[in-house]
Order: sequence, then C-alpha cells, then structure tokens
Amino acid sequence: MIESPGVTVSRTGEQGAFGGELLTVNFGPHHPSTHGVLRLIVDLDGEQIRRVQPVIGYLHTGIEKQMEALRWQQGVVVTDRHDYLSPPINNLAYALAVEKLMGVEVPPRAQVLRVIMSELTRLSSHLVWMGTSGLELGAMSMLMYCFRERDTIMDLNEEISGFRMHTSYIRPGGVMADSTPRFLEMLDKFIREMPGHIDEYEDLLTMNPIWRARTIGIGRLPAEDAKVLGASGPMLRGSGVAWDLRKSIPYSGYETYDFEIAVSNDCDCYGRYLVRIKEMREAVKILRQALDRLPDGPVNVDDRKMLPPPREELETSMEAVIHHFKLFTEGYSVPPGDAYVAVESGRGENGCYIASDGTHKPRRVKFRSASFVNLQALERMALNHMIADMIAIIGTADTVLGDCDR
Amino acid sequence: MIDSALVVDRGVTARDEWITVPAERVRDALAALKKDGYRLLVFLSCVDHLVDSSRAFAARYEVIYQLRDLEKPADLRVRAFIDGDPPRIDSVHDIFPPANWDERETYDMFGVVFTGHPDLTRILMPDDWVGHPLRRDYPVGGEVVEFSEEHEIWQTAPDEA
Repeated sequence: MIESPGVTVSRTGEQGAFGGELLTVNFGPHHPSTHGVLRLIVDLDGEQIRRVQPVIGYLHTGIEKQMEALRWQQGVVVTDRHDYLSPPINNLAYALAVEKLMGVEVPPRAQVLRVIMSELTRLSSHLVWMGTSGLELGAMSMLMYCFRERDTIMDLNEEISGFRMHTSYIRPGGVMADSTPRFLEMLDKFIREMPGHIDEYEDLLTMNPIWRARTIGIGRLPAEDAKVLGASGPMLRGSGVAWDLRKSIPYSGYETYDFEIAVSNDCDCYGRYLVRIKEMREAVKILRQALDRLPDGPVNVDDRKMLPPPREELETSMEAVIHHFKLFTEGYSVPPGDAYVAVESGRGENGCYIASDGTHKPRRVKFRSASFVNLQALERMALNHMIADMIAIIGTADTVLGDCDR
Repeated sequence: MIDSALVVDRGVTARDEWITVPAERVRDALAALKKDGYRLLVFLSCVDHLVDSSRAFAARYEVIYQLRDLEKPADLRVRAFIDGDPPRIDSVHDIFPPANWDERETYDMFGVVFTGHPDLTRILMPDDWVGHPLRRDYPVGGEVVEFSEEHEIWQTAPDEA
C-alpha cells in the first residue's frame, strides 16, 4: 500500500467487514468543504465510515481571554468575530447578558431594530450555508444566486452600521445608531423581493435529482439522539424536535411576532435543508412584521453612566463632559454576579455566560457555541455512510469553525 | 426531587436560578437533577475567582453546569467549588454526553482534571502547550509573535563572547 501525505495506513490491523483492514484517513484541516479548518480522523472500511474523530482548535483565537482584558463596552467588537457568519446575533447574546446582570431594559425601538438585524443575519447565514453546500454537492450556480442576496444584506448592514460584516451594531444598552430612512426603504424593497428569490432557490434544489440523491437518507440523526447529544438549531429541528429559543425562551420581544417553528421529520441532510428554507421564509415574515411595527423613540437607554452623552450636549454641559471622560477612560462597571442568555442563531443556541466581579472588565465571558456542541454529533451522523457523504454531512451540520474554536 | 443534603446553597441572580452542590458529590447531584427533568446540559465551564474580593467564595475554581428542562422550559445553574493543584472533580460525561468536549475544554483552559473522563486531552490549544490560558494568573503577552522582528532576534543565536 502506498503511503502519501495525509493518508496513513492503520497500525491497528483491525479487520473490516469486507475482508480488508480498516484504513485511517486524515481529512482536512484544509479541505474546502470543512468551512474553516476542521480536521477529521476517519477510519474507513472500504469506503464506509466506521469511526470519526474530529480534531478542532485550528481557529482558536482566545476570544474569551481577550474579553477579560477589554472593558464591558469594548467586548462587543470581539463578539462579532467568533461566529463570523452571524455577528449581530453574537452581539445580541452578549448585550442581553450584560443588560440582564445590570437590570437594564432597552427601549422598544431598539428591541425591534435588534430583531430586524437578527433576522437579516439569520437569512445571510443560511444563504452562505446554502450557497456553499450547493457548490460542494454539485449545484454550482447556487453560490452565485445566494451571494447575490447576501450582498443585499451586506448593503443593509453597511447602511445601518457602516460595516458590511462585523457590524458591532447591537451593544449593551441599545444599538449603535438609529436606522436611516434609506435603510428602511432598502429593507422594504428587500422584504418584497426575498420570497421570490427563495422560490428560485427551491426551484433549483428542492426537486433537483442530484441534490436529493446526495441528501435524502444521508446523515441520519434520530430525534432521541439529537436531544441526548445536545444538538440545537436546524440540526435539532431537522430531527423533528420543535424547539426554538425564540418561542421557548423568548428574548427581545420575539413572543409578540407571529411565526412558525420550522420542523422536519426527515432526520437527514434533506430535512435540515428543508428546515433552513422554511426558516428563511419565516425570517422574511418576521422582518415584515418588525418593519410595520417599528415604533418611534430613542434607541438607547437613557443612562449617562452606561452610554456616552449625545455630541451636542458636550459643548454645553460640564456634566456631559465628565460622563464622556469617565466612560472612555474607565468604562462602566457591572454589579457582581453572573448571568446566562441564550439566543437562537442560524446554527442553534449561541449563548453568552458572563461573570462579573464588580469592576469595569469582565471576570469571565464564556460563549456557548452551537457549532461546538453540534460537531459532537458528527460521528453519530456519519457512521456507516460513504466517505463522499461526509461532505454533505459536514455541510448540512453547518458548523462555523471560528464559532466552534472561539 | 434532589436530596436536600446535596444542596449547599441556592438562590437567584439576575433572574437565573442556581444551586451550589458539594464538589465531591457532583455526580449524585447531576444524576438526581437529570431525573427531575433537567435532561439537557447546555454548557459546562469554569470561573477562576483568584483575587476576587467582591464576594466570598468557597474555593478558587467554580465549575458551572447549566442545565435545562426542555418541557417547562426552565434553566438551572449548578455550581461546585474546588481547590487544589490541579483541581479535581468527577467527570459527568456519561450522565450528559455533551459534557465530553466541554470537560476537555475546561481542562485545556483551566487545568481542571475531570476524574473518569475517557480522553482528557487538550482540545483547543496545541497538544504541546504549557499552561492553562484562562486561569487568571496566566501571563498575558508572553508569547513572541511569529515572523516579527522580535521573533527574528529570539531565533538568532547570540554571538560568542
């Protein structure tokens, strides 16, 4: 047998079911289908997978340690960067946790703007997933269509926050800035056009024989296993469990919106695809409701100890100057204690646990990332499938390795 | 119901319900709570309370188990305080399977040893890493940045005197 880089012959000499030895194959870490850098050590019997051992940590950037060195309001910038496909949702988890510990409630307009940004992010995250998964499984044009709409969402991000990807828009105490009239116009146009685009994606994929052949019956994860393994998000709902944090443990006023939990009983890759398509339609529904009800009023809490005073006040009020100085030199402090907030991201439960010692920097910030937990179900899903199906399974698990490794 | 002997302390912080359990009986406590309906371990982590004068803590390391009852739904945080070098606590990976990687991460970051874990190795940091980065006494900024000028100096052998 030839030994080539990345592929090693199993030293165990374990016999497979087809009369040969098990072959240990190294998969990744630089494989295009791993959406980041994920390494898998796969034991193959012929072409069938007998064991999968994920090796993670290649994208570890020490985000939790960095947050300990940053003040509470500075930490927002770092939260953008671990799950780089859904920055505003991570901002939201962190902001909600800080607000929970401080006992702060943000004004209604900020709540609705937060929901708008979360749902736009969910759409953009699912679009990236669908584009890249389509590309991997042979539907090349999907990437072009999905990234076209994703770019519109990026334009919306840019209009409201000035940044296309890492918006840092949602902050403890409210949001960065109020929406502009142009943003609302663009959003309205986007909401009117998006359902047609989703129909387009469905035309391309839902009945596509190649897509169906590669996903139906592949990567089965029964509901009981999904629950035991702690899976969340489309992984759990694709296994027929109707659990969505926006419904079960609502935050930011999600309980007042009319939408359905997307569930599929297929328990396979195709089921997870259907869940994401349905979620995109529901996200558009939520966006429409949010835009229609967007109330007038402030977008930040009226607390000078937490947020800087408006620019014009600085020229007339000594107190405002003092507050401004204190906030930008020392920051605000959060009362001692700890809090955990979970939000539903495109991938599942992305939570933020914070512990404070009463100073202006966090004692501990822990991100509960959906990718980290969902990846543990990979072996269960891939068992006894062909090695080529691994692509579909990793793809539909939709792990973001930056989120996984933090 | 969880045995009252297993509950050292209980309370509510920022609308989050929590209980403290004795660290040496954490397995009993979590198994009892699982029977009570808290069937999901949301996450497991640790907080290092080195030099924290804001409150009184029983020990330096606080291991945290966030549990969830999916039926109600309700969350419960379980705390266990441990000391020692290395700090030790029983593994719960067989009660809650998702704890497997979380325990590896906590070992990697805090050096907490989970007794009975099947494969307690580093998960995020490289295997040959020295130290546990999320401890509060871990030196920050001690690593020479690769490909920098400093790194070049650091790599160059000193001239013979």
